[in-house]
Amino acid sequence: MPPPMEAIPCKPLFFDLACNFVEFPNLDDKTGATDGKKQGAGLTG
Amino acid sequence: MSANKENNLVQAYLELNKFCQSSDYERALKAAGKILQIAPNEQKAFHCKVVCFLQLHNFKEALATLTNAKNSALAADLLFEKAYAQYRLNSPKEALQTVDSAPELTPALKELRAQILYRLEQYQDCYNLYRDLLKNTTDEYEDERKANMAAVVANLAALNPTSELPQFD
Repeated sequence: MPPPMEAIPCKPLFFDLACNFVEFPNLDDKTGATDGKKQGAGLTG
Repeated sequence: MSANKENNLVQAYLELNKFCQSSDYERALKAAGKILQIAPNEQKAFHCKVVCFLQLHNFKEALATLTNAKNSALAADLLFEKAYAQYRLNSPKEALQTVDSAPELTPALKELRAQILYRLEQYQDCYNLYRDLLKNTTDEYEDERKANMAAVVANLAALNPTSELPQFD
């Protein structure tokens, strides 16, 4: 004889939000993308 | 560094950047590896390599790369990535240690810390942290964060059915 059915709480949903912070660093300084753009705004500019 | 080598490096980074932006993690991983062959101390290429492993769900390799003694200088600032790999590899205790060794609790580390506390069943601390996160974060994941908060409250209630439940605001 199986025991009588019983209600149990469901497992709550839990999201991985930290995964959204796994991001590539900005590579502009390495690819030269910033060159020529922001010049003139430096220390002496 | 010779002009030639420098030029090669810029070219290699341009390629890496292209794959990063198109979320082509396999190719980005190869491109990052290529840079590290030319210049083994390139921190940004190393960072990209670790992010690729994480995005490809190769958490073991990510952690192995970060904990390799050879890479200790390159890995020093990547505490979030290390803790996330540990968290996904089911080592919440180690992950918490890594998070708490950081000089500053950045938003990323805070979010991860809350998830680690949940995994460790430290629901009261977890609740306090989610309250703080919900109050101080505005992004597109607010609903999911509230769902996480609800999960924490549900666990608190299950543990202690007679206690007064934290209010949801």
